Formats: sequence, structure tokens, C-alpha cells
Amino acid sequence: MNTFRAARRVRPPGRALRMIVGLATVVALAACGPGVAANSGGGSGEPTQGGDITFLIDSLGDTWIPNNSAISSFQGHIWGHLTDKLVYVDEKGAVSPWVGESWEQNDTATEFTLHLRKGVTFSDRTPLDAAAVLANLDIWAKGDAARGINPIGLFPKTYDHAEAVDAATVKVFFKAPTLGFIPTLGYHGSILISPRTIALPAAQQADLANDLGSGPFVLSSWKEGDSVVLKKRADYDWAPAALEHQGPAYLDSITYKLVAQPSVRTSAVQSGQADVAYNPSPQELKSFADQGFTTATPRYLGFVNGFAVNTKVAPFDDVKVRQALQHGIDREEIISTVYTPDWLPAESLFQSNVPGATDHSADFAFDAAKAGGLLDEAGWAKGADGVRTKDGKPLRLTLYANPYLATSKSVDELIAQQLGGIGFEVDIQAFDVVTYGERVKVNSPSVAAYEVTRSFIDAGIVAGVLTDANKGENWFGLGQTDPKLVELATGVASAGTVDARASLLDELQGHVLQQGYFVPITQIVQRVYLQSPKLHGVSYNGIAYADYYAAWLG
Amino acid sequence: MNSDYAEYAVKRVLQAVVVILLAYAFTFVVISVLPGDPVTNTLRNPQNGFTEDEIGRIVSYYGLDRPVHVQLWESLSRLVVGDLGVSLRSGLPVDRLIGDVLGSTLLLATSALAVALVLAFAIGFGTQYLPKRYGQGLLRAFPSLFLSVPNFVIGLVLINVFAFQLGLFRVIDSEGGLATFFAAIALGIPVSAQVAEVLIANLDHEAGQEYASVARSRGLGQARLFLRHLLKPSALPVVTVIALTVGELLGGAVITEQIFGRTGIGSLVERSVTTQDLPVLQAVVTLAAVIFVVVNLVADLAYPLLDPRVRLADAKPREREEAS
Repeated sequence: MNTFRAARRVRPPGRALRMIVGLATVVALAACGPGVAANSGGGSGEPTQGGDITFLIDSLGDTWIPNNSAISSFQGHIWGHLTDKLVYVDEKGAVSPWVGESWEQNDTATEFTLHLRKGVTFSDRTPLDAAAVLANLDIWAKGDAARGINPIGLFPKTYDHAEAVDAATVKVFFKAPTLGFIPTLGYHGSILISPRTIALPAAQQADLANDLGSGPFVLSSWKEGDSVVLKKRADYDWAPAALEHQGPAYLDSITYKLVAQPSVRTSAVQSGQADVAYNPSPQELKSFADQGFTTATPRYLGFVNGFAVNTKVAPFDDVKVRQALQHGIDREEIISTVYTPDWLPAESLFQSNVPGATDHSADFAFDAAKAGGLLDEAGWAKGADGVRTKDGKPLRLTLYANPYLATSKSVDELIAQQLGGIGFEVDIQAFDVVTYGERVKVNSPSVAAYEVTRSFIDAGIVAGVLTDANKGENWFGLGQTDPKLVELATGVASAGTVDARASLLDELQGHVLQQGYFVPITQIVQRVYLQSPKLHGVSYNGIAYADYYAAWLG
Repeated sequence: MNSDYAEYAVKRVLQAVVVILLAYAFTFVVISVLPGDPVTNTLRNPQNGFTEDEIGRIVSYYGLDRPVHVQLWESLSRLVVGDLGVSLRSGLPVDRLIGDVLGSTLLLATSALAVALVLAFAIGFGTQYLPKRYGQGLLRAFPSLFLSVPNFVIGLVLINVFAFQLGLFRVIDSEGGLATFFAAIALGIPVSAQVAEVLIANLDHEAGQEYASVARSRGLGQARLFLRHLLKPSALPVVTVIALTVGELLGGAVITEQIFGRTGIGSLVERSVTTQDLPVLQAVVTLAAVIFVVVNLVADLAYPLLDPRVRLADAKPREREEAS
């Protein structure tokens, strides 16, 4: 910092006139920021104890009621440090023990037995035992509508009940095969909360100070919409083996501070006032990396970013038109224009780190000539203005930019150009979150292409979204008219082992993509981090949250 | 005069109550006709994957499935007993949310007002006594310049220069003394413009009066002339302008608090508007109405005190005339 100050003269302050003359340079100032004093960070050394870090975040989300917020992109950071989970899921989707030390399941994946680690306590010293796990399972599965508590989204709807065998053993029963149960316990929603907290009414759970977990950090202070300060828990001793560190955390405290302006967040890290800036713009990452900062773009487990095509909406009821959409999109151009090489093109409808995802990129590879040929075959002829028509109707598609993904509109604009080249007339509608939620829905007759961004832990979730069998979400408007898809989805849902399911999942991905039901674009990076080079040992779990339990300052 | 005063005060208080209730009901109706509510929006986030049945039960817990007039009636009945309800977004009691942030905003607003007044009086003095070659004319352009530069630009420049380049304050310590000072400058600059405009116009007017010429001809120093003779009559209309800038201070606080990472009424409003958090918005609108009405009332009452020639009976006409 001192070398920087000496090296770079700044105009004397207090001259109002000069300041105003300098207004024009504000953008340049914000973009450049102060340079970083080159810091090798002593990265090779041993972890050191102590230290405080500041994490600048763009929003602290809506509420702290654990069930109603644990799934939120923003709160997920804080819950990850305040609470533990039954299992740990790493960035490759591998499941390993945590508070659940081991587990067994029956042949049909309808009964699971969880053996709990002994000696785990919540931060008020009450034990995290079988009774506590039962209370959590019940509230995750059912919520409590009478007290304004939601169930956990994505918790298996097949849950029947759970019972305690002894203080350290829980048996969980499902109404149907539920292979995804164990991985789901590592999902960011499945946080273990003290039964005392669970018993509180919503208005009291909304006060983060009342929400007790068993994690490596405890709440030091918080201010709604402003900041959350965590401090290390000295007697923490039950970290997942996967994190390669045991005992208390190295860092003394983590401060999450809300700073809405992206340029202020990144400049604060550049000037050494903060250690982490969340969600800087993808295009800026390279320049930060060149200046010696750490950047991270972990992918999360889930569906890739892409379009679920509503086959009920003409002309997308024609498989050739759907396939033309798939082949008409140049994914490499999207990555080089909107993103950086840290982003990857889609290979399937799942992100490639999902266990069970297989590479089907050949089925939807970019090939403008092939796309044009398919449209010719389908009877869509190109007019003088470049737009294809059939029976006097233009080949039209409306894209609705996803408000949950900041880069969605830029990607859609590029796709509109690319599809325009092969004869589509594409227009883009961008709504705020509220309007989007009202107007743009799966199965809406006005939405031919619904943009998907959804994380999950277990690929078995496809069984519940692709068709309307068992109250499924019916993404493609097919109902159960495609018997092969229903058969494959049912097979995935009822499989008793992961091995038995693997080939069905592969076949299902191939079928969905060959039929053009889903148009994959890129693998999602929804969480982007800019970090001080002094910070080491950060890990990212399967949902791409940064975990600072084993992190240290050097 | 006492009975006049009593009648005047009662009328003003009744007016205030009506304004507040209307603001409350108006906010309710406007927000209610918009599609969506924070509870449903959160539940419908595709990440959650909730069924319509599950969503319906929670929405019913919050009473959002009932007709608008029933909800309004319940909300009004709660207000009368001082219960502001629970935030639909965060689940926290509304009075706690407001209590947590009110102090920060009041500090920012009063500091910004102080900054605005110092700036405005400095500019006012300068336009009268700064020699022409040192930019007296330029000073007169300052108010329109201040008004035309967006609040957030000033804020970003201040942060870049004083926080990141000079390291005088830290963005994470947004409630600290120096951070508050610079936030107050960002918010105070546009407000000072309005005050300065009125002040300059009145100083020009008073300086041209006969008594000023007489004072000058008797060899009275410039500073003494300004302070003892010109300032007081010129400052009177400023009181009215200050009362009118309360809205400006509250509105500007929304942006300033965002830029400086402060938590206050402004940031609370911003979050509540984007999520349609009706109970919070109603409480804030009501609070703003209360503050606005009270400040204006205080200004009206202070007027006769500052100028004994102004009688209560003709305080209002004079105020209107000078403010226009």
C-alpha cells in the first residue's frame, strides 16, 4: 500500500472545481482503480492461524428463516459457514461423510440408515443427535405452512417419515425409490439447524441471531441488509474429511458486507480494503488475474444454461425446426464474446461435472449449413429479407432473458444474431424478476423456449421435470406422449443403484437432445470470485460456494 | 393571537393526519394492483421447484390470497394500534427494520444538510465579495452545475479518490465518521444548489437596497455588512427552502446509501420496492409523510421567531410569496 502511494501521485483533495472537472474521468478511475502492490503472498508456506477477511457481496438476499432462505444464492455463503450438513458434496459431485459418518440403503432405495458422528453440538452446546436430525428431516420435507415455514425446494417429494433407532442412528423411509436422497443431504438447502430454532415462529427465525447451527463459525453480529460478521468457533471438531483440515478454522472472522456497486466491490479488493469481491463482471477477470489477483469461476452441479423447448408451440412441434435451433447456435462465439475461456460450452443437458453426465455435444454441434438444410426440409423457405416463411408465416422465436442470470440478455442477443443468419426472426424480451415470474413459465403457450438455470445435486431430478408423469413439471409440453421418454425417466426414478441408473441416464440425455427437446448453450458459472492473493486454501463445494473453513491469510 | 395559534395548530395537525392516512392507503392500492408479491416471487423462483399446492399454503399464511380491501382494512386497523406488521420479504417485524436504520439516515440527512448550508452560504458570500478576477461570476454557475451532476457520479468520484486512492476511509466501515462525512458531501452538494440559488437572489436584492448603500457609504466593512445587515433578511426564505429539501434529502439518500454501502431508510426502500414488500413500504411512506409534515410545520412556526415583523396571521402569505 505504501509503495503504491509513493509511486502514484494523486491530486490534492478539497478543490471542488478540480473534482468536478475530473468527473469525466470517473469511469476511467473506476475501471483502472489503484494498482496492486505486487504480493507473492508467500503462497508456498504453511497455513497460519488468525486473521480476518472481508467478503463484499452484491446482495444479502431476502430472509434468514433457514428453510425459506437456505436455497438463496446469497445466504448460501453464510449458511455454509454457520451450519453443517449430513454429507459433503464436492465440486465433482462426489459424496463423502460429514455429520453422517456412514449410511446404508436397501436394494430398492426406499429405506436409508444414517449413522451419525458422535460429539457434534450446536453452538448452544445442545447435541446434534438423532432427534435433531429427525426434526430437520421433517421440516425440510414438509415445512410448516401454519407458521410460514416453507419446505426445502428439491427435497425428495417421496419422503414418508424418519425414525431414530438410537441416539446416533436414523432410519429414513420413502414411498418410492429415491436414489437422490443421500446426495441431496449435501445440497445447500439441507442445513442442520438446532431443534430449538426449528421450534421458533417465522418472525423469530427471521432474526439470524436465533438461528443456531453446528458449523465452524458462529454469528458475531449482523445488521439487516448491511453485513453479517462471523467468528470462529473454538471447539469445532467435525469437519468433512474432504476439506483436509480438522479442528477450528484458521481465520478468526469473516465479514460479509453488502456493496451494491460492482466497481466499488472490485476497487476495494484492488486497493486492499477487502479480500473478496463477489460477482465481478466476467469480462474484467483477465485484467484482474494479470494484476496478480486470484479469480475463481467454479461451476455448480445442475442443468446447463439452455432452452427447454415447448413442443406444443408451433413451429417447434416439428423436430427438424428444433434441431435447426440446436445446430444454429455457435457456442464458441458466445464464450469468446460474452464470457472468457473459464466458461465451457455445454456437452449435454447436465453440467459436465454432474455424476452421470455424458458427452452428447455431437447431437447439437454448431453447423449453420446443416441447420439451414433442416429448415429447408421442414418447408421453411428463405425470403428476400432473409427471414424464412412457410404458408405465409414467418419463422419467429421470442427469447425471454433470464433475470436470474446477469449475462443472459447479452447471450440472447448473440443467439438472435446467429439464428437470424439461418432465417429465424428472433426478438428478445427482458423482464424484471417479478414480471418474469408472472409471464414466463414452463408450459406457457406464449413461451416456446424457456431458459433453464437450475442447480441440483443428483441427476435423478430429471425424472420429475421432463414429463408430467407423477406431477412432473413437463418442461417440453409433451405430457406423456413420448413413451420412450416416459420409460427412460421412470427407469431413472426407480433405479435402485447408481450403476443401474448410469446407462439409462446416458440414453435419456441422448434421446432428449436428438429429439431437440432441449437446446444446450453453455455450462453455468453463476458465482464468480475476485480474491486477494493473500488468501489461500479456499475450497468450492458442489454448488460453487466459496468455503473459508480451511482458508488462511499468508 | 393565542386562539389564532391554537386554531392554526389544530388545522395543521388534522391536515397532517389526513395526508398520512391517504399516503398509507394510496401506497397500498398502488402496490396491490401490481402483479406479484415477495412471498410468491420467492416461492416461484425456479431453483425451488415448489408445487402450486405448497405455494398456496404459504401465501395463505400471509393472508395474501384475500381480497385487497380486506387486506387494506386489516392493515389500517393494525396501524391505528401502532402495529406496523411483519415484512413479507425478511419476516422481521417492520418496526424493528425501521428502528435499525432510522438513526443512520437521520445522521446522514442532518450532516448533508449541514454540508449544504455551509456550501450555500460560502457560495452566497463569494458571489457578493469575491473579486471578479477570482471567479465571482463562476461561483454563480455552481448551483446549476451542482444540480446537473448526478448524485451517484459525485459519490463514485468521492469513493474513488478518498477511499481507494487516498485511503482516508474504508468502504466496509460505511458508518464510520469519515465515510459518513463524504456520504454527506455527496448528498449535500445537490441540496446546496437549491439553497444557494435562493440565497444569491436574496443577497442581490438586499445588497441593492438603500440601507445597504448607506451602510457602505458610512465605511462599514464588507464582512460586517454581510453578517450584520444582509444575511438575516436573506436567510429567512432559506428556512422555507430547507423545509422543502427534506424530500430531496430522503430521495437522495436512496442513491447515496447504495453507493456508500450504508444501511438506512434509503436502502430499505430500495430493497422493499424491488421486492414489493408492502408492509415496509407503507411504514416508510407513512414515516416520510410524518417527517415532511413535521419539518414544514416547524419551519412555519420558526418563521415569525426569526423575523418579529412577521405576524402569525400573515406568515403564510409571505412564505408562499418568497418561496415562489
